[in-house]
Amino acid sequence: MLITRIDTDRFIFDVPAVLRDTVIDLARQLDEELESDNPGLHRLFPTAYADDPERDAGYQVLARGELIDGRRTSLTTVIETAEADEFDGDTLDAWMRVVNDLRLVLGTNLNVSESVDWSPPPELESMYVVYQWLSILLGHIVEAQLPDEIDLDIDPD
Amino acid sequence: MTMPMETTETTTDSEVDTEHPWQVLVWNDPINLMSYVTLVFQKLFGYSLEKATKLMLDVHEKGRAVVSSGTRAEAEADVHKLHAHGLWATMEKTEG
Repeated sequence: MLITRIDTDRFIFDVPAVLRDTVIDLARQLDEELESDNPGLHRLFPTAYADDPERDAGYQVLARGELIDGRRTSLTTVIETAEADEFDGDTLDAWMRVVNDLRLVLGTNLNVSESVDWSPPPELESMYVVYQWLSILLGHIVEAQLPDEIDLDIDPD
Repeated sequence: MTMPMETTETTTDSEVDTEHPWQVLVWNDPINLMSYVTLVFQKLFGYSLEKATKLMLDVHEKGRAVVSSGTRAEAEADVHKLHAHGLWATMEKTEG
């Protein structure tokens, strides 16, 4: 276990430095690009009204800024706790959101598919390795937050 | 979603409460982990593990699931929370 709950709101975060450093590097990049029009970020700001572009434009005006602010808050928390080895629940939640956002960005850039025939393009294999690392880390973060008596028996891919 | 689970469980996403004119849908995507989606449903909506898992499996197997319903403002607030957690959520008026 990379993350262990030791009390209701306390978690030991025993994540290898190489994985931790990777998250921090990617988090800093995302923080810099969060307000850009990079198409790799589109999964962070989805459409709300799929069949009503006018209403969706109104939603985007109101929501996009709040979504950016929320993500920036989580990114700041992660960057500030880069060296910490014990988290409270709010900090672990920030790490969970950031790791998931990074997976969304990398997965979009990789054009990940559920097809059994899918594999990453050769030039993006190193990116796919990082994506898989983040999948494992996210799986551990989720598992650490489950009540003790519950075992979903779900393992990262 | 990744990490498919073996299951034969089926549910419907077409149950509509006419007092809640807007419904919030979550759509399947190839990136979000199944365990993460389940936890988000529990955290945001207070659903039991059983209900959250059932909705997650609906998303994965049927391509989408209705996860909440309410007034337009309530639905929009739920969509916003789901977007903040990286889920692919939309809202639409219920039919009928």
